[in-house]
Amino acid sequence: MEAIAAIHAARPAAQPARRSPTAESPFVRWLLIGSALVFLSLFLVVPLLAVFVQAFAKGPGFYLKTLTDPATLSAIKLTFLTIGIAVPMNCIFGLAAAWAITKFDFPGKNILTTLIDLPFSVSPVISGLVYVLVFGAQGWFGPWLVAHNIRVIFAVPGIVLATTFVTFPFVARELIPLMQAQGRADEEAARVLGSGGWQTFWRVTLPNIKWGLLYGVTLCNARAMGEFGAVSVVSGHISGGTDALGTNTIPLHVQSLYDNYNQTGAFAEASVLTFLALVTIALKAWIERKEARLKL
Amino acid sequence: MSVEVRNIIKQFGRFPALHGVSLKVESGELVALLGPSGSGKTTLLRIIAGLEFPDTGEGRVLFYGEDVTDMPVHKRRAGFAFQHYALFRHLDVFENIAFGLRIRSHRTRPRESEIRESVEKLLKLVQLESLAKRFPSQLSGGQRQRVALARALAIEPKVLLLDEPFGALDAKVRKELRHWLRQLHEEIHVTTLFVTHDQEEALEVADRVAILREGRIEQIGTPEEIYDYPATPFVYDFLGNVNAFAGRVHDGSVEIGESKFAAPETVGRGDTDAIAFVRPHDIHVTRRPGGPAKLAARVVLCHAAGPLAHLELERLDNGGRFTVELSKEQLHQLAPKPGERMFVELRNVKIFPEDYSI
Repeated sequence: MEAIAAIHAARPAAQPARRSPTAESPFVRWLLIGSALVFLSLFLVVPLLAVFVQAFAKGPGFYLKTLTDPATLSAIKLTFLTIGIAVPMNCIFGLAAAWAITKFDFPGKNILTTLIDLPFSVSPVISGLVYVLVFGAQGWFGPWLVAHNIRVIFAVPGIVLATTFVTFPFVARELIPLMQAQGRADEEAARVLGSGGWQTFWRVTLPNIKWGLLYGVTLCNARAMGEFGAVSVVSGHISGGTDALGTNTIPLHVQSLYDNYNQTGAFAEASVLTFLALVTIALKAWIERKEARLKL
Repeated sequence: MSVEVRNIIKQFGRFPALHGVSLKVESGELVALLGPSGSGKTTLLRIIAGLEFPDTGEGRVLFYGEDVTDMPVHKRRAGFAFQHYALFRHLDVFENIAFGLRIRSHRTRPRESEIRESVEKLLKLVQLESLAKRFPSQLSGGQRQRVALARALAIEPKVLLLDEPFGALDAKVRKELRHWLRQLHEEIHVTTLFVTHDQEEALEVADRVAILREGRIEQIGTPEEIYDYPATPFVYDFLGNVNAFAGRVHDGSVEIGESKFAAPETVGRGDTDAIAFVRPHDIHVTRRPGGPAKLAARVVLCHAAGPLAHLELERLDNGGRFTVELSKEQLHQLAPKPGERMFVELRNVKIFPEDYSI
């Protein structure tokens, strides 16, 4: 045993150090790794730390006071309400769109595929503006909405609509390549075995795309929480209070605190959003690991 | 328990896949649909399963004489095995096989103990008892296809449809599974249709073989009939190694170059151009010249790997090449050398008029 171990130990030393053909020299390697690390810390880690350092600049008492302020609580509540509606809607729309595109052939399929990407290519501010033009007081449906006492713009429905629009592509974009790669054979197999349409969806399609769907939902959620541009246009920036839900989401409220020279308060609330983002990243990493294992 | 299709026409966009195909598979029979890719064999199978529908109202699919043309796929109870298995990757082997039983409605679903019992019986039938808890990704290709077969059999199908079942496997496993499929068929006798582009597989496994070409059935018959009496040059060529000689037919014989061979089926026929087909094992090679009944040729190559040897020869008159198959002993006796002149005699010459082409 010892002799074998010795041979194994000796082998690398006996050969001249050979690099794999694609490996760089140590100098180049360290230069590349080093510059990547410097870049990462300057542009990602330092700002991340700065958020928390600034948030606690006036001590934990002030931090807690900011977070328990009715306006802050209202903003957090509104953000959760918005993602609570926008994310499930996009989950269903995204699934339906991906299903239609990958499992059926119909005229206009290419147009639909292109349209799904529209929210990615249009500036969020423009997206918000479009909703103002359609649903605002001077917009197409404005007079009708006013007559029926329904408020969309400068109210919660507008914020939900704008968020849904901006985050629409995430689920569909994630699912389309996955479902295309999987093809229709599994569904066909289930159908031949006697499975109806819904049964096939719940028992075959959904389990097959489960991790991809969850990944898309996570990304969609992350974007929905942080969306600023489109929401800013339709919101009207009304601070909420103890008894009324305003139209400020977390990002909008952070800005309003900052504009009112409450820098520490702004960072305190920003730390909430940052924390949620970190949770999302952890979740995303976990899903990616699960997905990778499934592909083996 | 017969399965029948009548006058099936199917077109994909502008590409015609089937031009009025009719076929009847008798109860308990194993029929192979053989043809090159694009001949429409898979489309026909999918139409029988209900995964595709025939184009016109005339096309009919019948199970046991009952018209199922308009019946949706999940009501037909056809067992289908896909070329790439299509196993459910999130379910283990046991649950894959049980799938067709578990999805039944409350009224028709067997009890848990019955499901367990029938799945175990099927696992035994496909010789995978020890792998019940494995997931598809942990199985070899051959094992996956056996699971797919067991899954298809679990619903007690009226007909078993296999789409290139061994197409994605390597040569050795293909051969093993081919024998196993034949044995399985002897055991369970379910009416089976299977699609393949491998003539050896079709001839070895099937009771009858239907040869498809460009959406039409070219010939149907037992493997022996098909091999010995090919109806068209296409069938002749598709079934394997064949040599084609251009010649002229004249009342019971065929002239190839300077030589003349017997062709009894042309008795009474006038003077026409024709193609003569001869299988490589129907050519006899000697060194002795024998007058007009022999053709002179030069040895080009000699392959001797395997139980049979193959000799490639070149005609001296026009340089046309052909292959001869002979046993190892014959090869040793003959001991041909490249470049050497030989004389060949053609037997079982099959004549088709010139306008046929392969």
